[in-house]
Amino acid sequence: MKINYANQDSHSKFELKTVLETSRMLVESRDSEFIINNLLLILMGRLLVSKAAIFIHDPVNENYCLKKKKGFDKFEEKAHYHFELNSEQGKQSYFILNEIDHVVPSVDADLKNCYLFNLRTSNNHHGYLLLGPKANNEAFSKMDLEFAESLCIISTAALVNSQLFTELTTTYRNLDRRIHELNTLFDLSKEFNLLVDRDKISSIFKFALLGQLFIRTFFLIYKTGDSYSLLASSGAVTKPSQKQIDTIFSDADEDIIIVDDELRNSHEWIKKSNITTLFSVTIQNERVALIGVGERVNKIPFSDADYNFLKSLANLAVISIQKTFFLEERIDKERMEEELSIAKAIQEGLLPDPIPRISGVDLAAKTVSSREVGGDYFDIAEAPDGNTIFAIADVTGKGVPAALLMANLQSMLHVLLPVDITLSEATDRINNIIHKNTPSDKFITFFWAKYLSDHKILRYVNAGHNPPLLLRSDSDNFEELTDGGLLLGAMETMMPYVQTDIQLNPGDLLVCYTDGIDETMNAADEEYGTRRLKDCIFQNRDKGSQEILDAIVNSVKKYSGNKFSDDLTLLVLKACD
Amino acid sequence: MKTFKIEHRNNHGFEILDLYGELDAHTASQLEESLKNLISSQKSNIIVNFRELDYIASAGLGVFMAYIEDVRTIGGDIKLSNMNDKVYNVFDLLGFPTLYDIFDDEKQAINKFLSDS
Repeated sequence: MKINYANQDSHSKFELKTVLETSRMLVESRDSEFIINNLLLILMGRLLVSKAAIFIHDPVNENYCLKKKKGFDKFEEKAHYHFELNSEQGKQSYFILNEIDHVVPSVDADLKNCYLFNLRTSNNHHGYLLLGPKANNEAFSKMDLEFAESLCIISTAALVNSQLFTELTTTYRNLDRRIHELNTLFDLSKEFNLLVDRDKISSIFKFALLGQLFIRTFFLIYKTGDSYSLLASSGAVTKPSQKQIDTIFSDADEDIIIVDDELRNSHEWIKKSNITTLFSVTIQNERVALIGVGERVNKIPFSDADYNFLKSLANLAVISIQKTFFLEERIDKERMEEELSIAKAIQEGLLPDPIPRISGVDLAAKTVSSREVGGDYFDIAEAPDGNTIFAIADVTGKGVPAALLMANLQSMLHVLLPVDITLSEATDRINNIIHKNTPSDKFITFFWAKYLSDHKILRYVNAGHNPPLLLRSDSDNFEELTDGGLLLGAMETMMPYVQTDIQLNPGDLLVCYTDGIDETMNAADEEYGTRRLKDCIFQNRDKGSQEILDAIVNSVKKYSGNKFSDDLTLLVLKACD
Repeated sequence: MKTFKIEHRNNHGFEILDLYGELDAHTASQLEESLKNLISSQKSNIIVNFRELDYIASAGLGVFMAYIEDVRTIGGDIKLSNMNDKVYNVFDLLGFPTLYDIFDDEKQAINKFLSDS
């Protein structure tokens, strides 16, 4: 056979050119479909082959996936096949199959005279090219086989390249998404920090859910104190009853709950609102919020990364919402404190200051409040007849309610002062008004007296108050001023209040007090009691009213360890020579 | 940094919103206001031109999601145009191209409106 060298030369040039062009095209292409398809078409065209198939190794299943085929009817694209090669075959870059070879045992196909090319790079094996015989049944020339081998090497490199590129692109994109999510969180935390308006926070939260995750349906239940309320919702969420809110909050007590049929059926509201996932937000070990979301607008299921983002976003929003509540509480508290300090000033203004000087008696009075305002009261006022009225009272309860009632009593007393009625009649009226105007659990114990200076007579009415203690100058025993009637406000006046006159002689000492004195507790929870009070008065009986008063207050303070839990009031009166 | 602003104009009977600066959680409410105004006056053929927009955050994207259904219900659409690569990347990352028509140029958006009607 005559060899046409010139022809062979031009043929190899063509070959080389094809290989070069193909290689450039393949390496530049990052599309594995394109690479595989080209490998098949070029080989089939160049080598006049009518059937060929490419199998790519699947490392997960340890078998080969048929990516693309032409001819070979017994094989199916996308199906997975197991290859069995003897050790000699496995080492070769290509070999011809004979009738005893069953490299693909699961398929009953005649592969005689087919070639199997190993698709490999210098390090790794990636798959096989199965090449049918020439259509004209001629054997492959050496050049044919070298050409095919070269093309397989180039194509495999290109395939690996494209796989890496795809992986890299995916990685880049995921990274990009994470960065964007971080940006979103950063952007929102900046904005949330500036906001004190819960509606605005909810609205931005809503936009972030929509924009980042395509979530249109959501709700946010927030726990304040012991109650739960729906702070925000959108999309398909219907208005829940308080009971529905309470039950879903207590039932959905896990971090993330994917709503299943069981939950849907036991929670009508969740079902109706198309909620698919529930999240709990926990701050400092306390579940403070429950967030429910529906499926996405584009129906793509949530990934773990999405859940993480959703949790971070929810945390951020809930912390901001919590902050607004704290802020409101603080403002409320500050306003309340300011109001109380005003109330305290008003209440102090209701008490006589300074204590007026009354001829014939040495007088001292003082009230100590355990809080800003309280229910203790004393008064010293001049009646139209020129005589002086003394009063001491204690309203049940403490704080603002007691202070209001105390102010009420003070004004009644001053309105009645110029009216020409007896102490007894005035007490009747005060009792009726208090009874009518106050809740049934509010009472006032009240003692008042008029000092008739011309006759040195003290005329008093005691309406249920701790009996004032009278220590006569010529006696070592205390008398108690108990006459009068029921405490004020308990019931309408049925029996007139009794007024009693007592004669005061020089040196006689009267101590009026409220239960803050005798009921003061020490560290062992024992009351100060009237015994200690009497002892204290007794020891100081020769002193002036103010000194006696101070002695009692100091004694009680010392006893309690400086911890008063109640208001205490003292009015000390000593008859002069 | 440019301050965010929105300018409203009319082009061949279409409502054009030109966005400037940075659209984030802070400025999202302004865009919301503009879209609400258009919808309430039944102006539903809306093109948002992003030529002068430097940055967009998720809350900004959320506004588009929040009103697209309203606009489509009254027979209109919100089409987006002239995004820079950075802004487009954000839309693309979150999958917006499957839900919105996004064009390189405002003119293409107008043509799309015209060919759809």
